[in-house]
Amino acid sequence: MLKLEVNQLSWDVPDFQASEMLVWVLRDTLGLTGTRFGCGVGVCGTCNVLIDGEPTRSCQTPTADAVGKKITTLEGLAKGTGENLELHPVQAAFLENPLQCCWCMSGHIMNAVALLEQNPNPNAEQIDSAMNENYCRCGGYNSIRQNVTRAAEIASGRS
Amino acid sequence: MKAKKAPLTPEQRWKMTRRRFLIGTGSLGVLAVGGYFGINEGRPALVDMIEKGGASRGGKMPAPNLWFELKPDNSMVFYAPKFEMGQGIHSALAQIAAEELEVDWKQLTVRQADSSKGFDPNVMFTGGSTSVQDLFTPLRTAAATMREMLRLEAAKQLSVNVNDIVALRGECFARQDMGKKLTYGQIVAAKQTKWDIPKEKPNLKARKAFTSIGLNAPRVDVRAKLLGQPVYGYDARVPDMLYGAVARAPRYGATLKTASALDASNQPGVKQVVIDLKANFAGVVADTRTRAREALKFLTLEWGGGTSMGQTEIEALVIARDGLGVVIKKRGNTDASINTGTQVSAEYRTPFAAHAHLEPLNAMAHVQTSKIEIWVPTQATSSDIRGVQAVVGGEKREIVVYPMQMGGSFGRKGAQSAALEAVRLSNAVGKPVHVGWTREEDIQHGFFRPPSHTWLRGSLSTDGRIDAIDQVTASGDILFSVIPIPEPIKNLIGFDFGVLSGLFSPYDIANYRVRSHRVKLPIPTGTWRGLGIFPNTFALESFMDEMAFAAKTDPLEFRLKHVPNTEDGTRLKRVLEDVKTRSDWATPPESGRARGVAFSSMGKTLVAQVAEVSILEKQIIVHRVTVSIDAGLVVNPANAALQAKGSVVMGLSSTLLEKLTVKDGMVEQANFKQYPLLTLKETPPRIDVNFLEGGDTPYGMGEPAIGPIGAAVANAVFALTQKRIRELPLEL
Repeated sequence: MLKLEVNQLSWDVPDFQASEMLVWVLRDTLGLTGTRFGCGVGVCGTCNVLIDGEPTRSCQTPTADAVGKKITTLEGLAKGTGENLELHPVQAAFLENPLQCCWCMSGHIMNAVALLEQNPNPNAEQIDSAMNENYCRCGGYNSIRQNVTRAAEIASGRS
Repeated sequence: MKAKKAPLTPEQRWKMTRRRFLIGTGSLGVLAVGGYFGINEGRPALVDMIEKGGASRGGKMPAPNLWFELKPDNSMVFYAPKFEMGQGIHSALAQIAAEELEVDWKQLTVRQADSSKGFDPNVMFTGGSTSVQDLFTPLRTAAATMREMLRLEAAKQLSVNVNDIVALRGECFARQDMGKKLTYGQIVAAKQTKWDIPKEKPNLKARKAFTSIGLNAPRVDVRAKLLGQPVYGYDARVPDMLYGAVARAPRYGATLKTASALDASNQPGVKQVVIDLKANFAGVVADTRTRAREALKFLTLEWGGGTSMGQTEIEALVIARDGLGVVIKKRGNTDASINTGTQVSAEYRTPFAAHAHLEPLNAMAHVQTSKIEIWVPTQATSSDIRGVQAVVGGEKREIVVYPMQMGGSFGRKGAQSAALEAVRLSNAVGKPVHVGWTREEDIQHGFFRPPSHTWLRGSLSTDGRIDAIDQVTASGDILFSVIPIPEPIKNLIGFDFGVLSGLFSPYDIANYRVRSHRVKLPIPTGTWRGLGIFPNTFALESFMDEMAFAAKTDPLEFRLKHVPNTEDGTRLKRVLEDVKTRSDWATPPESGRARGVAFSSMGKTLVAQVAEVSILEKQIIVHRVTVSIDAGLVVNPANAALQAKGSVVMGLSSTLLEKLTVKDGMVEQANFKQYPLLTLKETPPRIDVNFLEGGDTPYGMGEPAIGPIGAAVANAVFALTQKRIRELPLEL
């Protein structure tokens, strides 16, 4: 069995899936459907997860490469459960000002989480650079721009 | 002689509706009401007429198309009869329902309606920007009826005259004694006898009394998506499920001649290889998606036939010129006027385009002896069912459809279903099978926005007004290819009515003729957001600018000069003047930039846009887009604005980047590396949307704003460079 660490939990994955791309292991084997699939060639960014804190295309990452690393998916962002669930500031910003179909949202959120970890107060240009690698077919790019700024505000307690 | 039938009075209509009103008899202590509200559930009347030969729907009790459940704990479920693809329809419908129910929209839980609630999946459809406009009155009527039932019952339970019972925020209270009150849930819990339906049609609120409609209610579907819950079709999961992959033909129209399963069957994880030569089908079921796809490579397949066409041959077919096409609009005498005065002529071309919704096509099916269950992201369950029925033959098995949320669709998920493939595979293996397409499959093996070519001639009189326009539009099929109409009838009609969207110039032109030339292509084409509106508006509104240039008139003033003296003309004038003001049209933009304007309409929705562009190293940069829309009454302005902005961005992607080309009978571009979409940095940071609200009725919002952007940008590029680009995507 392969041991994967996803959202601070240890998961067993059959050895034969070592060469399968992480996106399918997360979605189909582990049932973590928050990571979504878009293109399979690393262009659209829909499948972004954090591996050791870095936004990474899970459609381009063989599962074996993620063994021994810390994987964070959309499901791992909120704290607590049930009534006490507290959304991550980036999630909270996207709830206030949602995208449309939201299929690409998880990829953008993982990007934004990583950006704000490194730079809690990004300016417009830094946001554009960090967020440019992901597609949104419904055309919510300006919402994405706003939401990163808003998430930074929420995270720093400026609401 | 047969007497002409008088139209029904409102009382008669209400009587009919009452007969179709349903009260649930399900679990104890729950008030469940719904009904069939005499609307044609979203399908364009013309399509329905053709499919059903104009037959009436009379006879048996129809399935409901609206349904509410109210529980003793005062929680309420609204089963939304429309499918969610990101347009926010579940939220908008909840808002409309809450208005007449007199509840806070937060009190409503919205669930997808499906056949388990008696909804007829054969008629459920979402598309054409019709949901809000079609359901606006029926939904309020249903909600108001339920509210009246609660008021009548509250009057009895509180021993107060019903006229003195006020319903507000999920409670009924006595006007004179506000301490005397019951929640809706309490009323339901205490109800012992049969519910009655009000004898009279309930009055609907006037617009000025709205407290829910018109506000920016939050979306009801987003939280689940933010938490990664499995709400989309690609997420569908059941215990014991397997994964399928399907072989694709190398050319459109090719058929499977021979197939050998042997090597594929021996691949690890493979449960079954399914080959059906008659159906041109070869697929693999395995324990993971990756193994199913890997095993496909070991199938030995021989394909024959199909088209070998390439791009040059396609473009030679898609040609509009004088003498071609069916006349579908004729005003005045174009032939007599077209060769007089100043003459302008031009031709415009748009290419094949993909939908490129980021969730590729997919479905899960579980074929059982008694029934077939399918989980599918869909705009039209009828289309899925029709396809599945064709696969399983004449067998009378119940088909249960679970409509899943769509990760985008734009017309695609209404007419092509992976459910057929999942059904074939599940049928063979006897277990639930999920088929999720790859991006390559999704781009190359879908259907496309058809290419178009528009030939336009115009003449100007000495006063600088348009005297005549002669228009021929050639296009591949849009609706003809996705709705089941026999070919002879298509030939009889002669033009595809999907092409009509945005086909007619809205301006006051004394002599105007429009011909539509249907091009039968060997490449699959079909519905794409707004149908013809994007390609047609690119041609018509670019040409309007060319006429303005010939008339030496400002393009926006030229349009205003040609506003017809009608009610629609007044509305047209209003959006043009609004976009003129808000885009700062009268003030020149900063140096190196220029603006272009364009207009289009779809149904009763009118949209004017101004794009402000510059050029940097041969790249067109769009800095700002100003949008003015008259969509009638707007139910949720924030969400409607997202629809408009999203339409602009998607249209801009087509304007600047997107083009599919065909080589040897197959689309050449397989993924986003060869078919890039517009990115965040290429998106204008300013897309300003203004709604010019008019009237008490909402019109469509999901598509119309995609119309003008192509021409607005091309016109701005002309204003900047004096270079007229007549083909999309725009290349300098």
